[in-house]
Amino acid sequence: MINGILIYSPRGELIVSKLFKGTLKRSIADIFRIQVINNLDVRSPILTLGSTTFHHIRSSKDSDNLWLVAATRNNANSAAIWEFLYKLDSMLIEYGLNKEEYLKEEFMIVHELLDVMLGSCGIPLETEPSKVIAKMSVKPAKLHHNNTSSLLDGHLGSKGNNEISMPKFLKRNDSSQSHDSNFSFNDFSWRPKDIKHKKNEVILHVNEKINILVAKDGSILKAYVDGSIDLQTRLSGTPVCQFGLNDSLTLGSNDSEYSSRNGRTGNNKSSMLDSNLSNKVLSKASVGNVILEDCKFHQCVSLDKFDRERIIKFVPPDGSVELMKYHIRNNLNLPFKITPIVTNSVTGDALDYRIALKSLFPGRLSAKGVVLHIPVPPGVMDCNISVSNGTCKFVPAENAMVWKFNKYNGLTENTLSAVTVPSKEVNQTTLQQWARPPMSLDFEILMFSNSGLVVRYFTISEGHQNYKAVKWIKYVSKSGSYEVRF
Amino acid sequence: MSDQRVFARYRANEIRLDLQNVDIKKFKSGTTKKKNALRKIIVNLTLGNYNEMIDLLPEILKFWQIEDDLEVRRICHEYTRSVGSMKPKLTDEILPFVLKDLRSKNENLQIMALRTLIFVPSPPFTSEAFKFLMSLINHRSDSIELTRTAIYSLVQMDDFDHARISGLLEILLDIVSQSSEEPTIQIAALNTIYAIHEKHQDMKPLGISIDTCFNLLSLLPNLNEWDKGLLLEALPASVVPQTHDDVFDMIDIVLPQLQHVNMLVVLNTLKFIVYLLNYVDRINETLVKRLSSSIVALLNKPPELEFLLLRNVILLLLSRQTPLLEFDVSYFFVEYYDPIYIKDTKLECLYLLANSENLPQILDELEQYATDIDIQMSRKAIRAIGNLAVKLDDNAATECVHILLHLLEFGVDYVVQEIISVLRNILRKYPNKFKSNIREIVEYTDSVQEPESKNAMLWIITQYSDILPNYMSIFQNLTSSLLEEPLEVQFSILNSSVKFFARSPSAETKNQCMGIIQLCINEIDNPDLRNRALMYDRLIAVSGNIGVTNPGISILQTIVDGKLPVIELNSKLDPMVLEELELNMSSITSVYLKPTSQIFRGNRTKLLPQSPILVTDREALKITNYKGLKNKGDSSTKGMPKRTATMSDYDKPAEKVNQLKGKRKSTLNGPSKLARKPSMLMRRLSMKNPF
Repeated sequence: MINGILIYSPRGELIVSKLFKGTLKRSIADIFRIQVINNLDVRSPILTLGSTTFHHIRSSKDSDNLWLVAATRNNANSAAIWEFLYKLDSMLIEYGLNKEEYLKEEFMIVHELLDVMLGSCGIPLETEPSKVIAKMSVKPAKLHHNNTSSLLDGHLGSKGNNEISMPKFLKRNDSSQSHDSNFSFNDFSWRPKDIKHKKNEVILHVNEKINILVAKDGSILKAYVDGSIDLQTRLSGTPVCQFGLNDSLTLGSNDSEYSSRNGRTGNNKSSMLDSNLSNKVLSKASVGNVILEDCKFHQCVSLDKFDRERIIKFVPPDGSVELMKYHIRNNLNLPFKITPIVTNSVTGDALDYRIALKSLFPGRLSAKGVVLHIPVPPGVMDCNISVSNGTCKFVPAENAMVWKFNKYNGLTENTLSAVTVPSKEVNQTTLQQWARPPMSLDFEILMFSNSGLVVRYFTISEGHQNYKAVKWIKYVSKSGSYEVRF
Repeated sequence: MSDQRVFARYRANEIRLDLQNVDIKKFKSGTTKKKNALRKIIVNLTLGNYNEMIDLLPEILKFWQIEDDLEVRRICHEYTRSVGSMKPKLTDEILPFVLKDLRSKNENLQIMALRTLIFVPSPPFTSEAFKFLMSLINHRSDSIELTRTAIYSLVQMDDFDHARISGLLEILLDIVSQSSEEPTIQIAALNTIYAIHEKHQDMKPLGISIDTCFNLLSLLPNLNEWDKGLLLEALPASVVPQTHDDVFDMIDIVLPQLQHVNMLVVLNTLKFIVYLLNYVDRINETLVKRLSSSIVALLNKPPELEFLLLRNVILLLLSRQTPLLEFDVSYFFVEYYDPIYIKDTKLECLYLLANSENLPQILDELEQYATDIDIQMSRKAIRAIGNLAVKLDDNAATECVHILLHLLEFGVDYVVQEIISVLRNILRKYPNKFKSNIREIVEYTDSVQEPESKNAMLWIITQYSDILPNYMSIFQNLTSSLLEEPLEVQFSILNSSVKFFARSPSAETKNQCMGIIQLCINEIDNPDLRNRALMYDRLIAVSGNIGVTNPGISILQTIVDGKLPVIELNSKLDPMVLEELELNMSSITSVYLKPTSQIFRGNRTKLLPQSPILVTDREALKITNYKGLKNKGDSSTKGMPKRTATMSDYDKPAEKVNQLKGKRKSTLNGPSKLARKPSMLMRRLSMKNPF
């Protein structure tokens, strides 16, 4: 399937080249460099030259933006290739090899990684991080420590994590040498047998990104939440976990009654809440039914069980894993309201901004990292700004005013008033022709769920034993693209 | 020496020196130095320094003998593969070492050796590989990993000796159908057979029995994501359902896989389902919902995967009159930071999804894009509006034209060019509908610059000359620089001038027309254009004198100014191509939406296999809903135009309102840029010294 993997530095220096087909010429590396890396016009992530096809991605997440390339000679499955490249990327991050400098030292690890992850003929065999690491002779333990929540929940870099130590699933592997492939084909290919931890612990992270696009007249063009439930486990043995959500049990059939907001009050499900889960912090208003438009599960989840009973049942891999992803469109809790009024000033060459920013989440909660980017027309030299709270600066490099808050309390309204100081080249027509990119808002709210999704219970069992484990849950709502046109 | 950088170009001698130095020193410090030296060899192979590195063969062999370390061995094998594919003859010396590894007890080493054997395209290697594979397949090894590697290796070996591999296919088929085997081995065997069939068009299509298929599908829950994907990849067109019940059972089994997070699994499940739908005549509406929502949830994947997904959405939207997918169009609205290839593809999706219900929503959105900073994007949006007008009915066209005219007032150069070009198509589709707007459009004659828009403008003026009193002067304006125009515009000018004459034969039109014809004949070198001019010249000569009653003129009219055929935008693909593309969903060809034979040579063209229940007319598939309750809910949401929510719906009174503090202040850090403006400096100086 994949005939060769090439990794280049951002400037196009070939660092790793591993081919899986003897008849593939080594010169393909030069071809890709010339045709894609050095060619600024190419904007597509896929290129076919002759019968050779290159799929590429750029590694991301605080890395050096390496080029990860897969070369194929036949009509291969693009989904497999891109999925694989992203898995490779996350393995490189795990090993800290996403930095050019270090990759040039330890490129042999990549060779070994690829030997483990890809079978002969470049068929992806295994990409689950904990499994791959188990088979590797080199463990990323030290690096991993520096880089704590890097792999699956890197966006969770909050202080709250400190009290809960990260699962050190890498330590345990000291004993498991490269010969232990026998476990890979047991019932749960993602979980080695006989794991032991002193203390059993589970942390569920409910991470949500809300995306919204508001038109000039305030109508919402689109609004949806992309969420994921990430799991960190340190559980001994082979435990079976299951949990339930407050979804409306009717996937896809958008019964409008569910989305009516008045339905929330009567829905007191707290009796069903597991006492170990700190759900109480969640605002009551958001505990209702949610309509999951769709959800995707990690391979450990029994899809049939979910299909029949809407219960998420699984034997977790040890360590961190993105257990499920979901998508919700209806009945969202919008956390912020932005009301922009932007008018041409009397002189005709400047713009007058009046913006009200109001938080709509409960007063007990607060958001951090609230930043509103307010684009200004080209040719603006400066802005005269007055704000009711927070700090706002004109940033010439971005052509925008940036309004920042360290902490933003719930149910609070702030206003901004600003007028641009245009340069001489600006006149009424250039102002009119300006495309006005949307304002965008960034934020992060703890223990709040944009979608109203709540994990109602979480149980762990192993055989008939009484399984003891500490269970935590954490809700984080962040902004995806929160955009308002004006 | 060892603190030298590893990643750099070296000469063979330098590395040899490194390696020799190591030998005399102590063991511990030596290991890292030695490894570094060996790594330098791999680096230099990566950098393409082959000729130097080939000289190091003796050193490599020496280390192969004395070292047990896995990384050293890995380097040795990597070296063999690189050198082997460059100079196969040299590697004969290495062969004994590879074979020694192959017979070792270490599984990893065995796999490594096997991969090297099949990698090097030299006859001794290949024959050893065959020997080993044969013995392994006949007397199975305990190691699953090794067996799996061996089975997948057969695809590669097939390149060397197809005849020998064909003999093994029976054994592989046995493995596939034996449920006593490890699932992952079954999948490997299946996938190997599938891949070999793909490569050889002369082999008869792969056939898997219904029973085997159900057995394989029952493995699904226990497979890892890649095995799932590979299984579902091989099934379409290989298994031929014989009854409707088969089809529905299969769909029910694979349906939960749509919930998988790996796009490979989802798309291959989708492919399998779409394939199966060719064998039924009706499906439940809920299936459409599930398919659609599974796609929507994948839209937040990284851009490359999103791109692939969107391309496949286009394919599915094109495939049937009533598509298998139902989306809210807002999913396909372009986001500001989308890469350009996503923006393009989303526009295409919007175009395909448009119908009279969602048109206002889409047009609003497209109008926004038309004023985008990105010129390409803006042009494409305008083009899309124009295409929508042609695609949909005339009410839609009215709305589209309204927006285009509004954008025209904007007056930005490239917007005008594009709008004029698309208006031509709209006017051709609806010749009489927008007569009142023609004058407005013609006002922009001076702004059209590009050949296409100029052509369009010429055509519009010519077509509507009867309602443009001043058309002659406009036309003369456009023709003044005839000789400098690009060829296509010259053709248009020539044609238009003859049409004017044919329509209203007068001395004035004749003069003008003949002038242009003469210019084309005498001054322009292009033979086609001259030929056309000469043709017109003779045509006019034989049509005789000026005068409407002259029968020659009316003949000329029918020749040069006949009735135009109605245009239609045809975005549909050939049904045969569609059939093949559906079977190739999520592959490279699905990105390009082209038949496999156009991109890859020698690949099999996939076809729907025959079956008593095959439905040849793809439009015959009916989407029904059985459940009365659901039906109600759906029709109510469908029937009523969806009210768009507004921000204020979510509003709540604020507990705390902060008031503005003080006056507006500049917030730039450091010295204000304004102060550096010469004009400002001047003013300050003058204030200091008023006199």
